[in-house]
Amino acid sequence: MNALGPETRQSSFAASPSRTPVAVWPWPIALGLLTTFGLLSALLGQHGIWLALSWAALSLPLIVTVICLIRAWRRPSSKGGLS
Amino acid sequence: MTTRTLRRWFVVHKWTSLVCTLFLLIVCVTGLPLLFSEQIWDTFVGDDDPPYEVLPPGTPNASLDVIVDKARALYPGQIITSVNPDDDEPAVLVSMAPSWQALKDDENYTDRHSGHWIKFDARTAKVLEQSRPTDAPKEPRTWTGIIMGICNRLHTSLFAYLPGRLFLGAMGGVFVASLVSGTVLYGRFMKRLPFGSVRTDRASRLTWLDLHNLLGTATLVWALVVGFTGFVNELQTPLFGLWRVTDVRQILRPYANLPVPSQDHLSSVQAAFDTAAKAAPGNEVTGLSFPGASFGSPVHYVLWTRGATPLRARLFTPVLVDARTGELTGAYPMPWYLRFLEISRPLHFGDYGGMPLKILWALLDVVVIGVLVSGLVLWAGKRKIATDARLRALGYDLDDAEGAPVSALTGEGAR
Repeated sequence: MNALGPETRQSSFAASPSRTPVAVWPWPIALGLLTTFGLLSALLGQHGIWLALSWAALSLPLIVTVICLIRAWRRPSSKGGLS
Repeated sequence: MTTRTLRRWFVVHKWTSLVCTLFLLIVCVTGLPLLFSEQIWDTFVGDDDPPYEVLPPGTPNASLDVIVDKARALYPGQIITSVNPDDDEPAVLVSMAPSWQALKDDENYTDRHSGHWIKFDARTAKVLEQSRPTDAPKEPRTWTGIIMGICNRLHTSLFAYLPGRLFLGAMGGVFVASLVSGTVLYGRFMKRLPFGSVRTDRASRLTWLDLHNLLGTATLVWALVVGFTGFVNELQTPLFGLWRVTDVRQILRPYANLPVPSQDHLSSVQAAFDTAAKAAPGNEVTGLSFPGASFGSPVHYVLWTRGATPLRARLFTPVLVDARTGELTGAYPMPWYLRFLEISRPLHFGDYGGMPLKILWALLDVVVIGVLVSGLVLWAGKRKIATDARLRALGYDLDDAEGAPVSALTGEGAR
């Protein structure tokens, strides 16, 4: 949380070709919506399919995290990540 | 966003996080065993109750009046304080005491408990079990009991009762602020990085930063919800107190000075349960306390009813039944702030979607611990860099192989 200084510097001054802007929010928003849906579907739906959907929706952020971590450590030279 | 506003957000994130991280680590770690407390109790302590009689399915329950009479016959001259049918077992718990005054006097002695209970089979009205007599040697505490007790008190109040609860509530609020400011910073940091990037080939500081961002994004909404509902939960004592001095006092005013009638002349307990069930349709009646209880009316049975769905299961509606006549006085839905509190509880406990939901809750909790730890590492790392830079400025020669490239990367850290 403390690396703000260098990061902003790098991103504003660095000229490396990979530093083109990317869409920041689609993934976080998708994960947030999935979590919200998962939290509510079990609460409001109570049983059956709604419970299963809740479990699935809440697992996805965890699965995505694990995939990102595996990618990063399998190919240490690349940046990992999904886009 | 200008660099100045960004720096302000950064300061907000840094300080809100620093303030609450230690306490969040405590609640995250102690929350894990609490999440599975039912299973832990079953596994390590077990149920030593005698097994229930096997009766044909559909056997009707005995009248609560029969059970109440039996309890009175067992302890003549004592009073009954409450009658509580069990949630998921065919049992009824009857609590008794020598008198209301004796219960009140207990508050002045830590080791005196004049109240006791009897557990009846709800169908046969036979006595299943009784509380241990007060003069019996104390049951040895189990390790499970000790550990779970410690976790529970750390998690809810840091062993500091109401001040501890309010303090942890405040930490919940600070945590929400830290999450919001962290989200703003994330938007800036990730401008040129694809989602989920973890740079492992450069300074370890960048790896920690990327991890912090990735784990934080994955759990952001969950942490917001659980943090906020935790904050609301810690406010329950003042909120219930507010209700008691406003609405409850208003409702009970006409009866406040009446004497408590003798328990020999009260109306039927079973009928009071039936009346309450009718007065709060869609709710189940979970218990009844007798007139004279410290929080109630001197002449009413107070019946607690609650919703039958997970969403409404913690939404209690008290019903007053006049214990002299058996007539309904009224059902009193709680004010909005208590309804909000009660609805927010399942979202904190994660106990509304079976075992898979609890496991997911635990995994998300572990990921949040990862966010906290990576945040601490980033903060501690920067402190080291700053210290090294100051030492160098004073002319010390630090041949720290690890420190040099990192401080080059994070040049501003020297400030």
